[in-house]
Amino acid sequence: MAPTKVKAGSAKGNNKRHQKPSSSGSSSKNKQRASISKATKQLKTKSAPTPSRKKRRSYTDEELGIPKLNMITPAGVQKPRGKKKGKVFVDDKESMMTILAMVNAEKEGQIESKLMKARQMQEIREARQKEAEARQEEKRSKLEETKDSIKRRRKRKPDSEETLDKPEDTPKHPKMNRKRVSFG
Amino acid sequence: MRPLTEIETQTLFRKLAQYTGPSLTHLISDSAANPTSKNPDRNVFRISGNRVYYVRESLANLATSVARHNLLSIGTCLGKFTKTGKFRLHITALDVIAPHARYKVWVKPNGEMPLLYGGNLVKAHIGRWSEDCPEHQEVVVLSMANDTPLGFGVTSRSSADARRAEPTAITVFRQADVGEYLREEDSLFTTT
Repeated sequence: MAPTKVKAGSAKGNNKRHQKPSSSGSSSKNKQRASISKATKQLKTKSAPTPSRKKRRSYTDEELGIPKLNMITPAGVQKPRGKKKGKVFVDDKESMMTILAMVNAEKEGQIESKLMKARQMQEIREARQKEAEARQEEKRSKLEETKDSIKRRRKRKPDSEETLDKPEDTPKHPKMNRKRVSFG
Repeated sequence: MRPLTEIETQTLFRKLAQYTGPSLTHLISDSAANPTSKNPDRNVFRISGNRVYYVRESLANLATSVARHNLLSIGTCLGKFTKTGKFRLHITALDVIAPHARYKVWVKPNGEMPLLYGGNLVKAHIGRWSEDCPEHQEVVVLSMANDTPLGFGVTSRSSADARRAEPTAITVFRQADVGEYLREEDSLFTTT
């Protein structure tokens, strides 16, 4: 396609080429000389730049997709336009009430959770205490049982094995006596 | 002197809400009769330097005619903003928070003087507690004899735990007490 275009425009191409940069506006003479097909092509090419100059659109940074960090004013510094400068005061009743309601709700939740936690801890503590008491009770009962059994044995022994026990006991007493120390 | 910003208001309310219950809304909604105009006067919060004042609106408007440097105090001083942006309540705020207190601790007459000299509250000094008070909870301390607010502090243990504690165990850590009016007389109202 390209060579054909060159051929077609070669006859008057020189003129056109010279005219293009020199006379940017479309001239009526050129249009008449050129064939219809060419004229349309020329019109398209020539008419396009003229309105663009008048309505030259300025693109915003977002539209162009320029990275924000690569700008003169840093991303964080630039402030939005049309907004109030400086501090925003809260002095009307309604906004204060809304802030207070938010704060109160937050606080209620915190205290509630604190109480819940305290109650749970209390329950756990009580359960542990009960367990410990039960264990102690068991131990005590075992001790009592063993005591009772020993007592029973002792009661039985004097009747049957008195003679046998005596030799066992006799060596113990001297030992106890040996340990005793008396002064003066 | 200027009104508070949103963040400042939030910080202040958060601190006040630690001591008070939901009735804190009365602070904003309460209004007093104004002799000069038909509209009742409401109370507003104003910040001067780093101190926050709770003051009648008409008075705050009048105070604009006083130079910032010359304005020592106005209304009730609630406390001050620290340089880190936190809010610290002063003893002067006691009258504002005491009527709306969520948890209260009543002190026996024998515990009043130790508190007013800046001591913490031990169990033996405490006559009565608000029920179900959790630990590390901000409380207002009142006198048992005549219900006068004496100060505020933080509980060291819950009311249930405190029952089991020894009589000498600390139950409330003091934060401020009315004795400061004398002890801190020189620095309580200075703005520099």
